[in-house]
Amino acid sequence: MSKKFIVCDPDKCLGCQICEFACSADKVKSCNPLSSRIRVVNFEPQGSMAIACVLCEKAPCVTSCPTKALLKSERGIIQVEEKKCNGCGWCIAACRFGAITLDPSKNIVSICDLCAEDPKCVKFCPFEAISYATVEEAAPKFRRSAMGQLLQELISKP
Amino acid sequence: MFGYMGKILRVNLTDGKVSKEWLDESIARKFIGGRGLGAKILFDEVKPGVDPLRPENKLVIATGVVTGIPFPGNSCHSVMAKSPLTGIWGEAHAKGFFGPELKSAGFDAIIIEGKADAPVYLWINDEKAEIRNASHLWGKLTREAQNIIKMEVKDERAQVGCIGPAGENLVRFANVLFDYNHVAGRTGMGAVMGSKKLKAIAVRGTSRVRYAHEEKLVDLLLAKFTDKEALKGPYWPDGLYKFGSLADLSYWQTTGRLPTMNFKKCLFPAYEAVSAETLAESGYVIRHNTCPYCNVACNRATKINPPYEVDPEYATPEYESAAALSSFCMNSNLASVLKAIELCNKYGMDTISTGVVIAFMMECYEKGLTTKEDTEGLDLTWGNHESLVQLVEKIARRQGIGSLLAEGVKRAAEKIGRGAEEFAMHVKGLELPMHEFRGMKGHALAAATSNRGGCHLQVETDDLFEGQLCPEIGIDETTIPKNYRDRLYSGPEKVKLNKIVGDLFALFDSFVVCKWTVYPCGGTKITTLNEIVAAATGWDVTINELMKTGERIFNLCRAFNVREGITRKDDTLPKRFTEPLPEGPYKGETLSSGTLTEMLNYYYEFREWDKGTGVPTKKKLEELELGYVAKELESLGMLPTT
Repeated sequence: MSKKFIVCDPDKCLGCQICEFACSADKVKSCNPLSSRIRVVNFEPQGSMAIACVLCEKAPCVTSCPTKALLKSERGIIQVEEKKCNGCGWCIAACRFGAITLDPSKNIVSICDLCAEDPKCVKFCPFEAISYATVEEAAPKFRRSAMGQLLQELISKP
Repeated sequence: MFGYMGKILRVNLTDGKVSKEWLDESIARKFIGGRGLGAKILFDEVKPGVDPLRPENKLVIATGVVTGIPFPGNSCHSVMAKSPLTGIWGEAHAKGFFGPELKSAGFDAIIIEGKADAPVYLWINDEKAEIRNASHLWGKLTREAQNIIKMEVKDERAQVGCIGPAGENLVRFANVLFDYNHVAGRTGMGAVMGSKKLKAIAVRGTSRVRYAHEEKLVDLLLAKFTDKEALKGPYWPDGLYKFGSLADLSYWQTTGRLPTMNFKKCLFPAYEAVSAETLAESGYVIRHNTCPYCNVACNRATKINPPYEVDPEYATPEYESAAALSSFCMNSNLASVLKAIELCNKYGMDTISTGVVIAFMMECYEKGLTTKEDTEGLDLTWGNHESLVQLVEKIARRQGIGSLLAEGVKRAAEKIGRGAEEFAMHVKGLELPMHEFRGMKGHALAAATSNRGGCHLQVETDDLFEGQLCPEIGIDETTIPKNYRDRLYSGPEKVKLNKIVGDLFALFDSFVVCKWTVYPCGGTKITTLNEIVAAATGWDVTINELMKTGERIFNLCRAFNVREGITRKDDTLPKRFTEPLPEGPYKGETLSSGTLTEMLNYYYEFREWDKGTGVPTKKKLEELELGYVAKELESLGMLPTT
């Protein structure tokens, strides 16, 4: 059984950014969404989706860091050693999901740490778009919603 | 200063000069932002008697203290000017991303003056403002223009507000469209932009607002988001998400007050065909939309295939729009309603005014005051949806009969004459919204006295406040309506509620906050708003002070109108409301001129205005720290002598 991580359903996500607020509020007691570790991406006109670290097995962010400031823990979370991070941003470029942010207040990168297994973004999303799930748990949901949408399109065609 | 950016951008389109001014903290505290700030600027800078479509008129776009703070309903801004439709106070609000982005760009408000020689658009990027050529955009539909501008400024995240061809053609009720389907709809603000040859305003910014007590603010907001039930609010716990504001249509029908056939009737037999429930099952809704940090998600995008092909970028069926173009015109074809709304948004025209003007024309056609000769062959029988859709486009383009209707229902009726003024449904020139006043007397007073004219948003009472106490602001057991019969009550307690709500909503429209999310509709209480403002600004502000501020703003807008010649004689309603309702649970109800007179007498008493003229007294204005306003009215001979 693989590890749980933050996964967002693009069918339910409306791009409200409440998850961004919940994250930055919890981590740095701030209203600034730039300090959030989960970020909303808008694809007009189709919709939106929130992205956070997906816990890559062979994390490219870790390999790319020139100061070795990133470390993958037992749990799979990418930990940032603040003293070693110089804000160069190579990890941001290396991440294929755009899941790393540069915290403007400290000029150090911040990455989702799953809030000690009690992720706030999941709690606060008003549309229940974000789940804390394993890949196995998430896949059937996506499969169902993709099929649902396909069927809907087939039905509504004249 | 905390909570505000502290700067206003002034743009003069005549000489191309762009300048920054400081927003004084004392002004911010006295006028809050949004409507308040706009009223202050416009009262001070736009002299009475100015033609709203001339360069001397000014356009103000203002955010407020809560804009950008992450909680539901924060992301609003106001667009204000002297209205080309009514000649008095013009104001419209839009939600979405533009307001917060404007603040991030470094400004609390923008003032636009003068007129450009050729079409231009304004590009504001992190405090740098540039007037750019827009000749290639003139004539483009709203979203087209927005998308091109986003490419030109090379920033997908730029927020754009623009007018469509209707604004360019100076349709008097043209509107301004902001990002996705957020419209500053009423009173013709789009025509003001059109008259200045200003096609659009684009903003992008990366600054942050500084808050006085950010940690306290964060705690307040976290507490708010944690209580998911309270977030929904009492009025429609799930309705707004499930059905959008269109849910109102079934409500008004089942309570016998759905404006139908130009207010001749109050029940629409075919209402189910255009109801929110039908829309939900139709398969037309493809997506919900929401504003930043809002859990309500009242907005939805629709898509329909031919014959009424609707582009989902444009068609969002809100109640007012849908009713004005369906029951009000006896139209039961849902697809045509969505198509008409889509066209209004594409061309940039207020849907309510459009619907009212079309219904007026249908009544003229019924009575033989206009014929197919006048309408270029269009058959304007009640409910003819093909004609309705064609007429929308004609109005936007000012083609044929459309050119007359583009002047608004008041002017169109004056032109047609022969008794047409009797069924031109407006107050002070603003077409009436979809509320049947004979079944809700508090709203009747509101429409007669509202600062924008025939408006439903600036004061509400009756159904909305049933059972919703708020003793902190004087709404207690004696003032709130308790049941459906109270909607017909027109006595002093109802008028008192009207006065309190007028001040409260003036405050909301200055914060600027979305009314779906706050008392009485939504879950945010007045006490919470007070705490949020205090934490954001560091002011030791109380609810009493905020309500006084609301009263000040309401009086300032009234003074603006008084200066343009408005007095008690203009606080009226169309004659049709003195006729009895023909059917339904409120059959036989009327709003007699005697009742309105009584209500007005109480109203002026509560507001401490002169009873004879409806003008704020010197004493009241001085009490509200508007002494200079009193002086000016006095010098113009407009102040009552008592």
